[in-house]
Parts: sequence; C-alpha cells; structure tokens
Amino acid sequence: MYKYLLCWRYLKTRYIALASVISVMLGVATMIVVNSVMAGFAHTMRDRLHGILADVVVESYDLDGFWDWRDVQSIIQKECGDLVEATAPTMETFGLLKIYLPDGQAVTRQVMVIGIRPEDRAKTGDFSEFVQDENGKLIKPGFDVPKNWQTNSPAGHLLKDTPKDDPLHDILRQQAGEQVPDRGAIVGYALATIHRPGALTDDFIAPAGSRIGLAFPKSGRKPEAAYDDYTVVGFFKSGMSEYDSMHVYVPLERLQYMRMLGDGLGAGAVNQIQVQVKPGVNINEVASRLQRVLDSRRPLYFRVATWEQKQGPLLEAVKIEQFILNVLLFLIIAVAGFGILAIFSMIVVEKTRDIGVLKALGASTGGVRGIFLSYGLALSIVGCGAGMIEGLLIVHYLNDIENLINSLTGTRVFNPDIYYFSEIPTLVEPWTVAGIVLGAIAIAVTASVWPAQRASRLHPVQALRFE
Amino acid sequence: MTKTESVTTMILPLSFKGQHIMSAHLHAVGLKKAYRKGRSLEVPVLHGVDFTIEAGEMVAIVGASGSGKSTLLHLLGLLDGPDQGHIYLNGERIDQLPDKKRDYLRNTAFGFVFQSYHLMPELTALENVMMPQLIRLSPWQWFSQKTQLKREAASWLERVGLGHRGKHKPSELSGGEMQRTAIARALAGNPQIILADEPTGNLDAESGESVMKLLRDLNRERGMTMIVVTHDLSVARQADRIVRLNQGLVESFNPGVAA
Repeated sequence: MYKYLLCWRYLKTRYIALASVISVMLGVATMIVVNSVMAGFAHTMRDRLHGILADVVVESYDLDGFWDWRDVQSIIQKECGDLVEATAPTMETFGLLKIYLPDGQAVTRQVMVIGIRPEDRAKTGDFSEFVQDENGKLIKPGFDVPKNWQTNSPAGHLLKDTPKDDPLHDILRQQAGEQVPDRGAIVGYALATIHRPGALTDDFIAPAGSRIGLAFPKSGRKPEAAYDDYTVVGFFKSGMSEYDSMHVYVPLERLQYMRMLGDGLGAGAVNQIQVQVKPGVNINEVASRLQRVLDSRRPLYFRVATWEQKQGPLLEAVKIEQFILNVLLFLIIAVAGFGILAIFSMIVVEKTRDIGVLKALGASTGGVRGIFLSYGLALSIVGCGAGMIEGLLIVHYLNDIENLINSLTGTRVFNPDIYYFSEIPTLVEPWTVAGIVLGAIAIAVTASVWPAQRASRLHPVQALRFE
Repeated sequence: MTKTESVTTMILPLSFKGQHIMSAHLHAVGLKKAYRKGRSLEVPVLHGVDFTIEAGEMVAIVGASGSGKSTLLHLLGLLDGPDQGHIYLNGERIDQLPDKKRDYLRNTAFGFVFQSYHLMPELTALENVMMPQLIRLSPWQWFSQKTQLKREAASWLERVGLGHRGKHKPSELSGGEMQRTAIARALAGNPQIILADEPTGNLDAESGESVMKLLRDLNRERGMTMIVVTHDLSVARQADRIVRLNQGLVESFNPGVAA
C-alpha cells in the first residue's frame, strides 16, 4: 500500500518530475496531430483515387484493346454477376492537347485521352461528382454541346443574318461548326486553367465553349496520329492534380472511330472495362476470379487489377512517409524518455535516505522498485493523457487555429489551391491514438526502470548514512 | 502458512507480566564486521562481539566515535549482515535469513529510531506513524482495516504526546516532536525490540530528557526490549545495563543507574 501512497505524494509534490513529462506530452500531442492530418490526407486521397477508378479494372495489355468487350462483359456478369453492380467500357490512350488561345497562340500539353459513355461511367465510381462547370457547380456528365454556342460563335453570328440561299451560308455554317465543334469534351481542371501565385481565382485558358484539339495514336501497323476537334463542355476536378492535369474525357464512339477502332456507331474496341462491385464485396477476390477466368479465355492478354493495385505505388509512398514520420516523432519521445531517466535518477539521489528508512521499516527491494515504477507509470499517464487531450483538441480546432495564424501573420499556412482541399482534412483513428499513448507510456516507464532498479538496490545502511 | 509467517511465529510467542507484549531475547556471538573502502582498503569495525539482551531489558551501548556502536545496532536490526558470527532472536538464528524474511522481521520484530528522525517529508505525522503497517499490508487489507489502523496510529501519537499533531507534516514539527513521532512509528509496527541510534543526539537537553523518559516508560510499561546507542553517559545511565564498546570489542558490561 505504501508504494501507491508515496507515489501519489511524489506526484503531488515533485513538480520537477511533472516538468519532465511535458516533453512526453508535447511528443504525444504532435504525433496525434501529425497522424490525424496525414490520415486525413491519405483518407481523402484514397477516396478521390477510388472515386476516379472503379473498384476493379479489366484492361488489355494492348493499347488498341479488344473488340469483343461485350463478351468480356458477359463473362464478368457470368462469373461475378451477383457481386457486380455495374460495368463501363472505356478507351484510354495517351495524346496531345492543343488549346487555342484568343490571340491566335496555342498551348500544347501531354494528356490522357479517355473515351467514355458518361451514363455508364457515372455508375462506376464517383466520376459524376467530379464534373463541374466554370463556376465550380456540379453538372451532369455528358458531351452534348448546347446549340446556342455555335450560333453565338463569330461565324454563327454572321450566319444568323445570312439568308439560306446565300452562297456564304454553307461556308459560314461549316465555319461555325469548326469554331464550336458539336463534339463535347470534359477537360481536366488543371489543364484548362492557369493558377498564378497569390491569385484568388484561376484563369481559364480553355473556358467552356472553347475549341480544343486532340492528337492521339491511330490503330495500325505504323504509328500514326489522329487529330480531332472538340468543344469544352465541362471540367474534371477530382482534387488529385495527377488526374486533373492529365485527363481529357471524350465520347467513346468518337474516339474509337478516330483511332480506327470502331465504326462510330457503337461497334468498336475498348481497352478497359471498369467494374463496380456491390458494397461489402471483397474486391481482391473478384479481381482474382476475373483474372483466372479471362486468362483461361485468352492467356496473357488481360490484366485485372483493383483500384488499390493500380494506385499501389502512390498509396505505398504515403504509407512509407507516414511510417518514417512516426519513427522520427517516436525518437522525440525517446529523447523525452532520457529526460525522465535523468530527473528520476536525481529524485532517487534526493530520496536516498527515505529509501534507507523504508528498507529499515521492512520495505522489500521489489517494493522500493515498485514505488519508482508506479511513479514513472503515473507520470507517464499524466503526460500522455494531457498530450492526448491536447492533440485531440488541436486536431478538432485545427482549421480554426490555421485561420487564426493566417490572420495574425497575413499569410496562408494551408493554401487550398495547392492541395485542392477547402480545409485541412483530419481523421482521428482511435487505434492510432491508443498506439501512440501506449507507446509513449511504455517509453516513459522504461525510462524509469533503471532509476527504480538503482533505488531498490541501495543498501539500507549506506542509504541511511547518505549525506 | 507462508515461509515468512512460519519464521516469525517461531520467534514471537512472548508475554510480559501476564499480558501479551512484544518483547524478545536477542543474542549475538562473535560478530565481526569490516567496511571496504576502495579496492583494497578494509576497515575492521567489529572484531568479534558477543552480545545478549534479555526480554524486556533496556541496554545502552556506549563508546567513542568509530567504536562500532551503530554498526552493531545495524547488525542486530538486520540492516546489515556480519562478516562472521551469528545472531539469534528467541533462539532462532536470523543473520542468514533470505532477504524477504529479513525484510519481514525488520517490519514486524524491530522498531528503529534514528538520530536524524528520518520521517518522510511528504507524509503527515499520522501517515509516518502508520508506515510499518502500510508496508506490511496489501492495498486490499489496508482498505479493509484502515479505520482501525488509523485509530491505533493516532493512539500511539497520543501516547507520545502528539495527538494534536497528526495532520502536521514533519517540517511543521520541532526536533523533539519529530523524534517522538519517530518513536511512535517504531512502536506502531508492534515490534519486539526497539533499536534506537543516538535518539537524543540532535535534541536539546530538555527534549532529549523527554524522549529518554518516553523510551524508559515504554520499556517499563510494556516490557519492551530496547537497545539504545548513545555516547551520552547521562542517557546511558537510564538503561538497565550499559555495554561499552572500544575499538570493535565489548570492553565492559556495566549495570545502568536504573538497574
């Protein structure tokens, strides 16, 4: 009983020891904040990645794809029909984007051209949640070009005042079609805009209604490029710069036709089938089942991957980054542990005579050790508890704190334009918090083991005579 | 019955003048002790001391500084082990007991009073007095007996004249009060033998006299065996018997004034 009484009294009277756990407290708070922010980023990023890709993607190794995609869809339905919610055929190929500026100049960018059927693609993943207009308002994914855009074009204006029997009428109508093609494209937000440092808004270089040109490889023995014009009808903004600065969505049938992989009316090849599985279904199992059955149909032709496997390197990089950061932060707590060790050693020296008296009164070696171990445990619980509360409070009010710092310093600590988040995302994972707190307690208690051992081994006579 | 309990019960069946008291016969034979300083320097302190104290007796050990008085007391109280020689408590050899049993005997059979009082500064006088019981009992036992043990500790404080000082910390007590608290602590464990090392050494004459009177009264009232180490002959004369140590050897046994 004396162990707990003395431990409690030491806790209440030895403020220097309490000071020693401030470092543990700060370490725990920092780890909770950093892990929560990183988990928030990772979680949001995973959400967005998953939103862009369907759960499972069946793709051909050949960029020209496969013509019998309807048979592949049937196989998917037959093999995993009860697990699959929707499928969407797509054609993905690299290409070059030409953005024509009003002053006659043109900007060329490397892009990924993706042919889709908007209704089908919207059923696989969160694609429809990322398509917006110039003002950032979500719009229904589609490639229809409003009729008035052509009539409002320079040639369209002239066309309005030109009689139909005028020889210029057909020429102007052709020019209006060239100035505003009737084929729509959804362009990645970062492709269509330029962000100037310090500017509050982005400048559109390819606003809605503007013409863009796309060049991409044709199918055939010799590498040859196809070129096609489109009108920008929407913007793809997922929050992942990798996609927002690369993706251009066009009608599937048009892309098939231009690549000489389809008749433009529905028959054609695709090189991907996006598969959305039902909630709660194990996507890895679905992927391996599909891989097996497709391999048996056409060996070494199809690659079936889950969205996580396709984004493996990026997700792995985030995990490694988080792990390294945790190791470094735990080292800070380990340094704090040495502080506890030093202060505990000092307290043991200060309490030498008391230890001698306790032994004279019959306290055992284990009992004396227990006093200092309990004391170390109590201190670490106090420090880690305070650190946990502090960390959780900071996480809870992180955006308010950021706003306060912004207003005090006049600079933006967290720039939403860079991260595409309106606020700092956070996610408190209870197991992570528990792990941090228990780890810190273990370090603090370990740091008190040596002083406790030293105290317990003091000879009672030498301790009593200690000056 | 645990091993520790079996050892203790062997050396505790005592009574004095018909009432159950804590008193014991302590006997030491050929005690030798040397302290090592550095790697090679050995300082012999006791050269073969034979010592006996009967149950209920009060013995003063006197001698010059460095004569081995405190060392002898530490050996008798199991705070240290002899290099040679044996110590018997009620006929049972105790100097070779394992650490756990020595701890148990220090807690139950011996009560220590030190020159510098050695009270725990974080605890109140009452809590200091309860310390032997706190060491002895598990938290569960403590909580089930707390009220009774507090009452007993308060009565010991009352007995030493400090009933009103129970809630005071040592820093709020005078030297004499601290020493009386230390005596109450030694008594609260219901020991068989009180071992007092210069109990009046840090006190003024009046306080010293008061403390010695208290020890003498306890010895007479309860038949408690007491060994008092002192270099003050006026203190020693209050004992039943005086043992003089000179250069690590017992030089003479002189009856004290009270004998």
